[in-house]
Amino acid sequence: MKPRPLRQLRALVLKDLRLELRTRDTVIAMILFAVLAMVLFQFGFGTRQSDLTKFAGGLLWVTLAFTAVLGVGRSYVAEREQRVLDGLLVAPVPRMVLLVAKAIAIVGYLIAVEILVVPLLGVFFINGPFWSDIGWLFLSCLIADVGIGILGALIASLALFTRARELLLPVLFLPLLVPLVIAAAGATNAVAGSAHDLVQYRNYCLFLVGYAVLFGLVAYATFEAVFDD
Amino acid sequence: MKGYGERRAVDRVDLSVGEGEALAVVGPNGAGKSTLLRMLATLLRPEAGELEVAGCRLPDEAGRARGLIGYLTHDPLVYLDLTAWQNLELFADLYGVREPSARIEDVLDDVGLLSRAFEPVRAFSHGMAQRLGLARLMLHRPVVLLLDEPHSGLDAQGAALLDRLLGEVRGTRAAVLVTHDVERAVAVADRVMVMRLGRVVESVETAGLDPAEFRATYEALVA
Amino acid sequence: MTDLAVRLRGKGSALWALVAAVLSVVAICGVFLVAPEDADQGIIQKIFYFHVPIANTSLVAFGVACVAGILALRTRSPRWDEVLTASIGIGLLFAGLTIVSGSIWARASWGHWWRWDDTRLTTYLIIILIYAAFFVLRSSVEADRRARFSAIYAVIAFASVPLSFYAVRIATSFIHPVVFNSHGANLPDSMLVWFIVSQAAMLAVFIAFLLLELTQRRTESSLRRLRLALDA
Repeated sequence: MKPRPLRQLRALVLKDLRLELRTRDTVIAMILFAVLAMVLFQFGFGTRQSDLTKFAGGLLWVTLAFTAVLGVGRSYVAEREQRVLDGLLVAPVPRMVLLVAKAIAIVGYLIAVEILVVPLLGVFFINGPFWSDIGWLFLSCLIADVGIGILGALIASLALFTRARELLLPVLFLPLLVPLVIAAAGATNAVAGSAHDLVQYRNYCLFLVGYAVLFGLVAYATFEAVFDD
Repeated sequence: MKGYGERRAVDRVDLSVGEGEALAVVGPNGAGKSTLLRMLATLLRPEAGELEVAGCRLPDEAGRARGLIGYLTHDPLVYLDLTAWQNLELFADLYGVREPSARIEDVLDDVGLLSRAFEPVRAFSHGMAQRLGLARLMLHRPVVLLLDEPHSGLDAQGAALLDRLLGEVRGTRAAVLVTHDVERAVAVADRVMVMRLGRVVESVETAGLDPAEFRATYEALVA
Repeated sequence: MTDLAVRLRGKGSALWALVAAVLSVVAICGVFLVAPEDADQGIIQKIFYFHVPIANTSLVAFGVACVAGILALRTRSPRWDEVLTASIGIGLLFAGLTIVSGSIWARASWGHWWRWDDTRLTTYLIIILIYAAFFVLRSSVEADRRARFSAIYAVIAFASVPLSFYAVRIATSFIHPVVFNSHGANLPDSMLVWFIVSQAAMLAVFIAFLLLELTQRRTESSLRRLRLALDA
């Protein structure tokens, strides 16, 4: 009986998916939160006449960054509340597989949110052409999600063992997310509305790839120690 | 050795459990029983000393050891929002169990939960959930059983199952059972070890031992 | 034996404190009395000799913390935990001073305390937020995990430093042309010399602070052990 990491990974992801489908707590709350944030932006910044097109990237990514905090905060909730964590830790699962499974869950949450929120961005805020470039927008979201997923899974695993974790999580997570928000917002602005600057878009996306790779390496180097009491 | 702050939770414990042997560890709260068991289960890393489980040196070979260990606590360590079957399927995949469906059916049948296999665990009574924990424990045919107060949540049916299981240990398995129930410890184990404040204060073979008499000895030891 | 170590470290920190003091005095004298006045900015440009070395030193401190974090995870020795915590504390102090000196410079040059297109100010603000979270994390983890989690976070945080630098630069360069760039590689030699002296002084200050802090922590823990021994 030699456990195979891919089989374990599939099982862990399937488990998170089943838990989410049964309760549907997280995704629905995240989507509502994201839409709410966009509405607040409109009333906070704009009046009825003002055009927020050039702030579209910032709007989208501040919204998604805060929404990600919700998803990351929920990512160990089943293990914690149903007290199963020890069950996973005594199983012969490489710790990296646990991390990747959580990262995939976070990316899944974010994709579910983005499928709704990105088109809404076009409807709510963007004057001018939008739908022609929506494929590019989704692509940059996907790349950014990978970085958020890796970092989020790592931070969530640390926050799992802290007091006041709901407070701690955004304080730990958001500062580290600032570079990603800058680049992802830049990528969005490069293709949203009448802008269509694929060179700039590519540079921002390369940065997002670098972000994911760098934190992937950091996670690889340090994650073993998180659960190593 | 494992310390918390200035105090050592487990200190100078020297024990070995042979094949086919069941060891019971008893002692009052805070004696370090659970900490000792968590170290054996690869959940805690000893700060000093040597540890070998199922022929694997810890913590270096923890990965291999985990596949051979079965760990059960008073929590069943299963997801309440998944069905019994889904839980066992998950753990079968984590442990790399061959032909998982047949094996899951077997263990569910053993613990008497086959008819409830597709209900979420949340709908189970505590005793049933704990029996599912037993099924999870046996799923991958562990050679070392590490049990932390496993009787506390079990119903009569589950307790009988567990005792049968501990009886079967006298084949090729080894078991360490942590409990505060001295009589049961004497009844099911080959050897009983008494811990107090992180130290072993007594270790006796149970063959020919009278439970009531040992109870008195135990009270005197931990007082 | 620990006693001896404490005493030796005490000597080391005294020595480095002396080095730091001498270098700082030399740097201050050199910068204000010897180095030529900048043609465009005048006297206010002198702050550059401190602003930039302080900023660099804070990065060195965070780098030291990252290396100590890796060593802490490898060896699990509490010594590295002390080093990384002390180093991050001092790094934060220097990062704070970077912001203050940068703000003064911005105020004198442009009449505003804060400019988002000043990449150094902006980046150091992000860095301060990242490293301030370190102490929040540290205080909310139980003692048996504290050293390990601190080490992990020291590594994560340092990985994000270059990312923050680069992200802020690409953001500002696309939105505005970079205006605040009077310093850099093309300093005349007469200025460069004093810049280097000042940088050396700041590094010496960092080392002295670090050693002092470690001595203090060591002394405190010896004291605690002594008290426990007395109680027992």
